Amino acid sequence: MIVALALLVVALCVALAGWASWFVVRDRAVVLRQLWGGAVVEAVLLVQALVAGVVAVTTAPDIDAVLVWGYVLTQLLILPIAAAWAFAERTRWSSVVLVLAALTVAFLEYRLLQIWGTV
Amino acid sequence: MTQVATRSTASGPGRLLVAVYGILALAATARGAYQVALKLDEAPVAYLLSLASGIVYVVATIALAKDWRALAWWAVGIEMAGVLTVGVLSLTVVDDFPDETVWSAFGQGYGYVPVILPFLGLLWLWRTGRPATRTGRPATTA
Repeated sequence: MIVALALLVVALCVALAGWASWFVVRDRAVVLRQLWGGAVVEAVLLVQALVAGVVAVTTAPDIDAVLVWGYVLTQLLILPIAAAWAFAERTRWSSVVLVLAALTVAFLEYRLLQIWGTV
Repeated sequence: MTQVATRSTASGPGRLLVAVYGILALAATARGAYQVALKLDEAPVAYLLSLASGIVYVVATIALAKDWRALAWWAVGIEMAGVLTVGVLSLTVVDDFPDETVWSAFGQGYGYVPVILPFLGLLWLWRTGRPATRTGRPATTA
């Protein structure tokens, strides 16, 4: 993985989790602006997936492809699911779920760095 | 079974529970499927258990999300038995567990969430199973 992109993903996720945590404390449900924040994370993840794809094709690194792409795909799925949740549950619990989702994406990014190593 | 006057297992804090179950379902099923498909002969017992645990999590997630209480009780109960059994076995019969599963060492690789989760699941099923009025909130059907 590209370290700069990975750090960006983790930083954005932690920021989003912090924002959502504040909403948990204030007893508020997820608002649309936070979902836009999630969309930004998704965009960076997509860029990362594209770059990783190009790197994988051009340099044929010694990686376990199934494992890496499994993580990439899983990572992309999590925030959209949390967003769907935010529409269904209009209480503070949607904020709790968003905190969990953002931290999970950050953790998967960390695991990706472990699996792939740095490029 | 009547569902009258009980709170949905998917409402309020249940959302968080379903979310955690969902993430573990994804993690365990993906891991198990990958292990069984590509390297089953390396550690058949551990990898088949890995996949089985994934399926249990998927069932538990759906049951909790859909408020299917009987199925949820079963799935969470099996999950609790599984994580405790595999937790003990992975530490005592080390030879059969050369590689990690979600339930190895009581879910150590997953921050011990797998060993805490079934207790929370059963507690939540029990709490929401009582008449909603006793919790002081109206019964929601979200």
